[in-house]
Amino acid sequence: MINEAVKYYSLNELWKNIKKLSPKRRYIAGGSDIVISHHYDDLNTDLLVDISDIKELNIVKETSDSVFIGAAVKISEFKKNNIIKRYIPALYECVDYYASPSVRNIATLGGNLVNSSPCADGVLALVASGARVVRNLYGKQKLSDIFDVIIGPKKTSLKKDELIEGFIVPKWEHRAVFLKMMPRKIFGISKAGLCVCANLKGNLFKDIRISASSVGPAVIDCKKTSRFLTDKDITNDIINKAKDIISCEISPIDDHRSTADYRREITAVFLQRAIEKFVV
Amino acid sequence: MKKSNIKHYKISCQVNGNKFTGYIDPNLRLIDFLRDVLNLKGTKEGCGEGECGACMVLVNGVSVNSCLVMAFSVDGKSIITIEGVDDIKYGKSLKEGFKRKAAVQCGFCTPGFIISASELLEKNPDATEEDIKKALSGNICRCTGYKKIIEAVEWARKNDK
Repeated sequence: MINEAVKYYSLNELWKNIKKLSPKRRYIAGGSDIVISHHYDDLNTDLLVDISDIKELNIVKETSDSVFIGAAVKISEFKKNNIIKRYIPALYECVDYYASPSVRNIATLGGNLVNSSPCADGVLALVASGARVVRNLYGKQKLSDIFDVIIGPKKTSLKKDELIEGFIVPKWEHRAVFLKMMPRKIFGISKAGLCVCANLKGNLFKDIRISASSVGPAVIDCKKTSRFLTDKDITNDIINKAKDIISCEISPIDDHRSTADYRREITAVFLQRAIEKFVV
Repeated sequence: MKKSNIKHYKISCQVNGNKFTGYIDPNLRLIDFLRDVLNLKGTKEGCGEGECGACMVLVNGVSVNSCLVMAFSVDGKSIITIEGVDDIKYGKSLKEGFKRKAAVQCGFCTPGFIISASELLEKNPDATEEDIKKALSGNICRCTGYKKIIEAVEWARKNDK
């Protein structure tokens, strides 16, 4: 049970008022996770602070070399936004795999990161896109690596009252492939996921970033596999070696959704499929 | 008796075209507000976790699971429930399509399907069978097997006046 709720529409208004409120407070943006916890009386908080309509958290804007995405932008918006389609194809591709259409109208990218789930589809796309996180505490911004924020399953390094204001994604010439294995064809939590963002020149990967989900305690930035594939002529032998490397780079477990062996196998198969999509 | 410390939250919103202004318990989810405060019982609660889609309503024209939204957060917004679909595009024809195609058995999931389908057809009047399947992927029906539901949406798409 909560005793109070407040809702703010600007960061200025939030930071001006927040310290006067009950110290036992939680922030809510989309609510697709937090409302369920509240329903099962699992929130342990007095106050909910609604930041879903804060204007600074609801914008997508581009500069000459990057795109800023506000933390409270709804997942469904990514499919409609031409800046995202042009410069962050991984996020555009991930929408169709992300929960159900109505949950996409509620859920936010900031919440996806703060929830720190190993199977977070939005985080998977952000990591492969090379995104960084804009944190904000009482009006002071700080730029962080995604993996400075995520410190484990359901755990972040965010301080009390510290918010994710948004994400800065560099503009770089690339295409994206987003693959997800789930129990149903659509609307399911992943058994394993893979996102590859890459720039292919001829038969060589000039820049490539690979991320994997549901195969470790958090989304994994597969740096070894990415480094291995950079500047390599793509042959069957190289693809097989890359599959071996990614199999060692992930650390899947057995759980109620799948087995470690299957997850390792499908991640390697996904890598092959992704590379083939680039080359063809 | 222990005194409640709950501070009620003042909201103003439109529900099915009617203005509501009043103080509500901040613990209420949108579905609780609709069913228990406004007595709009057409919106159903199935799983309570955003999986089944029985509680779907439109908030500012987009479908949301009302079990995943806090009622205070709809302050200033416009809500359409199954009781108000006659007044939105495709609403009447979807209801007619569900009747004609016998897409209703127990009926528990039907309000959610109609809300999802109305959002789809409003955005995409040329929706294909594949589009309909994708748009309804967040709605679960345990009776009909979906075929008749898809036929009902196709009927509404073709016959809306």
